[in-house]
Amino acid sequence: MLAVALGGLAGPAVLVGIAVLLPALAGRILGRLLRTSLLLTMPIAISVLVVNLFFYPAGQQILFSVGPIRGTAEGLAFALETLARIGAISGAITLFYLTTTPSELVLDLERRGVSPRIAFVALASVQTVPAMVDRAATITAAQRARGLDTEGSLWRRLRGVLPLAGPVLLGSIAQVEERTMALESRAFTRPGRRTLLWHPPDSTLQRVARWVLVALLPGLFVARASGWL
Amino acid sequence: MMSSVVLESVGHVYARGDVRALDRVSLRLDAGERVALVGQNGSGKTTLVRHLNGLLRPSSGRVLLDGVDIAGRTVAQLAHRVGLVFQDPQSQIFAASVRAEVEFGPRNLGMRGAALQAAVDEALSAVGLAGEWRTNPYDLGGARQKLLTLASVLAMRTPVLVLDEPTTGQDLRGVAIVRRAIDDAHTAGRTVLAISHDMDFVASTFDRVLVMREGRLILDGTPAEVFAEPAWPQLRSTFLEPPTVALVGARLALGSTPTDARLMSALQAPGGGPP
Amino acid sequence: MLSLQRVTYHYAGSRAPSLHDVSLELGAGEVLGVVGASEAGKTTLCLVASGLAPRTVGGTLRGQLLLDGTDTVALPMHRLAERIGIVFANPANGLSGVAGTVYEEIAFGPMNLGLPREEVIARTEESLSTLGISGLAERDPSRLSGGQQQLVAIGGLLAMRPAHLVLDEPTAQLDPVGTRLVADALARLAAGGASILLTEHKTDLLAAICTRVIALEGGRVVLAGAAAEVLADPRLADLGVAAPASVRLLSAVREAALPASVLDRVQAALR
Repeated sequence: MLAVALGGLAGPAVLVGIAVLLPALAGRILGRLLRTSLLLTMPIAISVLVVNLFFYPAGQQILFSVGPIRGTAEGLAFALETLARIGAISGAITLFYLTTTPSELVLDLERRGVSPRIAFVALASVQTVPAMVDRAATITAAQRARGLDTEGSLWRRLRGVLPLAGPVLLGSIAQVEERTMALESRAFTRPGRRTLLWHPPDSTLQRVARWVLVALLPGLFVARASGWL
Repeated sequence: MMSSVVLESVGHVYARGDVRALDRVSLRLDAGERVALVGQNGSGKTTLVRHLNGLLRPSSGRVLLDGVDIAGRTVAQLAHRVGLVFQDPQSQIFAASVRAEVEFGPRNLGMRGAALQAAVDEALSAVGLAGEWRTNPYDLGGARQKLLTLASVLAMRTPVLVLDEPTTGQDLRGVAIVRRAIDDAHTAGRTVLAISHDMDFVASTFDRVLVMREGRLILDGTPAEVFAEPAWPQLRSTFLEPPTVALVGARLALGSTPTDARLMSALQAPGGGPP
Repeated sequence: MLSLQRVTYHYAGSRAPSLHDVSLELGAGEVLGVVGASEAGKTTLCLVASGLAPRTVGGTLRGQLLLDGTDTVALPMHRLAERIGIVFANPANGLSGVAGTVYEEIAFGPMNLGLPREEVIARTEESLSTLGISGLAERDPSRLSGGQQQLVAIGGLLAMRPAHLVLDEPTAQLDPVGTRLVADALARLAAGGASILLTEHKTDLLAAICTRVIALEGGRVVLAGAAAEVLADPRLADLGVAAPASVRLLSAVREAALPASVLDRVQAALR
């Protein structure tokens, strides 16, 4: 948000440097951060660059031409500004994603009052995926062993939908039944809060920093809107 | 129908690691043989059987069916020759009725009309589910669901039949059904390979036992050979115990007695055992 | 003391009862084995004994489930869960699915009970050490072997400090190594005075740890008594139950009318 609020190129770039790159360096994930972030923003970055470079309405100063299309300096400047902002946003999101596991996130939310059932659903969905993928592979193998053709024409493969999807769904339902019983047997349905073992480390410094940043935000918007920044 | 399965120095390495799931395994199964495949989880049993119908392809070596390399054939094509029953019935049950479930396999192989119905009827009778042909498979208990999956592959009438843990969770009657199905296949000249960890069942049902450990075949012989005392250290190295009756026979110095029948005949032999 | 008194149970939508007039008692320190053909009612018995039937599974229950003499009919499932724990045959389904480590998995139950943090930790550590799986504490439960997963499931239940444990064919899907792991754990628990209800096809296992055994047929109790007695009963085969190897061999020797000395030698060899 700060990146968007700050005008010009320098602002967002510095911000990215402080808020995103430095922590990434500290957490030793700078490489992963850059790779993931670049990968995610590549499509939009390219389109932003191309569109603005060649089609920026207020473009006057021509840098070069490709046939009838002209690339302008103003366009380039605007493109870079936008890219910097995009970079800040995507960098921040990627940093968050790389440093927080789903369970930490969900457990922290539960600590702050989200219902344990919702927390459970969120966590279980993530953890179920690898097992489901394995199961789907086994089911596919079992049905192929009974002659189901998964390498033939499209029509043949369409006929395979029910024998493949069927056991996945039906088996999942059966699994859910047994898992529900296992959960009930561990008092999952007990009303009220449950004890949580894990506390995310949260120093006073972090808390203060969070509040300061939140407080700054309205001020920045006002400054930007009034043309000050 | 003559059928033989040959593995020539088959090796398999899974893409995700460099663990040798199979390490230069060579073996030959002849038509009509009843063969058991035993060994602890992770020893390569499942990997091995999946090579027989093309679900897995060897990283090295060859798999031959009736003398022909199976490399060029798809799994769907190989299903005509090799039927594989998976361990968990929930990995394959999808039809609304027992009959429809059993029809699936043979239908895929092109069977129609009277021939199809005959194959299905025979398979259902073999496992004792003839009366339940209309029942929804999910209304059957787990043990009968397993028998259903056995029927669904029996109906495909493949020359080679591979079973993955066919007797887990079965009661006495269920085990007898599986044993009879294996015997019938043997009588019809079909080759049966079964993964099992029930050593009593193995000793009393099969002509030959293959013992695996860490991707290799470490023992290959008749039950009498494989469960004889000299082989016990190798069995135990893959966390298997010989059947109790074999332990008793050894303690009584009666030679190898992998089955009750062998123990009894050893006890009844003139001068049988120490005084 | 867990007791079923004249329990008749129908699954929802089913006209025939799955359990018919079943009575049994399970006291402290007792290990009760349940045998019977497939679909004779073993699983249903476990569901009723743990309270899951009819609470979670539905259906109608006639007769009573008593805990220490008190009827449990008004108790909701989460209250019963503190007194009776249940383990099923499929190791993967016994996991909560939200725990990244075995430690969290075992702590799941106590956490749900809302116990103080120190208590949760104490119980988790105790479970781990009772079952000898402290070394697995940091492992991902979904990556363990079947036998290990069953131990974790049992551990998760033990942390609830139940008065009774119910296990429905806990080794059915396990290889010999896993079966040994679970059997040893159950033997240790039994030796420590746990009250256990256990259904199994593997009668050798039951012979090793049960004090009493009952046999079910068509939802009714047809045999009941001391483990050694019931497991040696010749009617087991008709009931679809394989006798333990020792019983089988000794009866084969007797039937062959071999001299008593032979019988003695075989008996000695079986020990």
